[in-house]
Amino acid sequence: MIRKTITPRNNWQSAVEKLGFGFHTTNVPYWDESVYYELSMTEVHQIEKATADLWDLCLGAVQHVMDNKLYHLFNIPDWLIPYIEKTWTEDHPAIYGRFDLCVKDGKVKLLEFNADTPTSLYESAIVQWFWLQDFDKSKDQFNSVHEKLVDYWKYLKNYLHPAPLHFTCLKETLEDLTNVEYMRDCAIQAGFETKLIFVDDIGWDEHSRQFMDMEDQPIKNIFKLYPWEWMVTEEFGKNILLDVNRTFWIEPSWKMLLANKAILPILWELYPDHPNLLAAYFDSALLTNYVKKPILGREGANIEIVKEGELLQFTEGEYGKEGYVFQELLELPNFDGKYPMIGSWVVGQEPAGIGIREANSLITDNVSRYVPHLIK
Amino acid sequence: MKKSKYINLVLITAALASCNKPDKEWESANKVYMRSDTTAPYTRAHHSGIGTALLWYYAFRPYGNYRNGSYGRAGYYSRALNERSNIGNNAFKGAVARGGFGRGGYSVSS
Repeated sequence: MIRKTITPRNNWQSAVEKLGFGFHTTNVPYWDESVYYELSMTEVHQIEKATADLWDLCLGAVQHVMDNKLYHLFNIPDWLIPYIEKTWTEDHPAIYGRFDLCVKDGKVKLLEFNADTPTSLYESAIVQWFWLQDFDKSKDQFNSVHEKLVDYWKYLKNYLHPAPLHFTCLKETLEDLTNVEYMRDCAIQAGFETKLIFVDDIGWDEHSRQFMDMEDQPIKNIFKLYPWEWMVTEEFGKNILLDVNRTFWIEPSWKMLLANKAILPILWELYPDHPNLLAAYFDSALLTNYVKKPILGREGANIEIVKEGELLQFTEGEYGKEGYVFQELLELPNFDGKYPMIGSWVVGQEPAGIGIREANSLITDNVSRYVPHLIK
Repeated sequence: MKKSKYINLVLITAALASCNKPDKEWESANKVYMRSDTTAPYTRAHHSGIGTALLWYYAFRPYGNYRNGSYGRAGYYSRALNERSNIGNNAFKGAVARGGFGRGGYSVSS
């Protein structure tokens, strides 16, 4: 992997805005095309294989958690367990996820899995692809995210209820809405009738026991960019069990297990020394150099990096009350103080492409930048 | 690694185009159920002035929200929306409670 500095397109802001990418800059730059990463085809194949293998490991880990009733490690409420198991045994549709990987010295290692509400989908599928068309059309990218999303929605059409497919996210967040609207775009192209409803506008009809949209039509299939761990603690959470329509929520609730960092020690216990895993435990006693992560954290918050007993780096935040895991420290590759992390997409069970987040420290946080890539 | 060189975006293209012609777009938007509020945040993250896109955003912004811990929703600012969407709280909608999801935060960014 090589980091290359270039001059951004003169009109890059308008170029990305024409694609509907409005959050390219917040108080700090987010989309950064003053640099790109060049990967060899060998590296791409390594990442692709690791992604496919990790997906298989994860499915095995879900079954293991269920067989051994390990839900307490995930801070999952008892009342939800039968529903989670039901969505697993009935194979409720899931469409995507993003593995965060450290690619270094010929190795590909899992840092964590964003299995429920992965973002940066639009940047990965669309924005960096159109950047490449302007920068060097002759080059290729590890990126078939868009094609795979459309294809997988087509495949899922026969598995969903014969009803409109709703899409939901929080209000007032352009990033979340862009991700959701892009996903909806793919579903429309797959032939779905779709509707958008913001998550706090979702209605519950106590009389008929149905979730309702803004036209008071029942919601029977819904793609949500809203985490299960938030949903189940909210007022309507338990209504999911009462819902007469048995609505398909996508991603399904069994993804809660994979989105939770408690899955990392489970994976290590099941597959010790697997080449794509780092040692991980529920306590730090067995590790000298490690990263302490909250099981339900987001965007690099509440992370501590400990090396030789010393606190090397840490971030603050509001997570951690549900517990922590401890993962062997593998420092991201250092390109003159810039640290890239690979987000590798799995769409419909298959590796689909990557996006790269670059940070100024070992912790990839909410001010890290999205940078494009190409294949050498 | 790319299966095709051509990427089509039907909804997002339509949403962006609608910013320039909201009335016409609304009249013909039923096929993709592109509610006007869906187009709202397709605006720049930071505005240096109020342009068409920003006006569009405010026009179709839903005006229900959490206040003092409880959810209240009255409808949408725009009259261009489907009337049933814009009715707000009334007897017809009395059986449906809203606001039971969505207190989780500002973004789910991962």
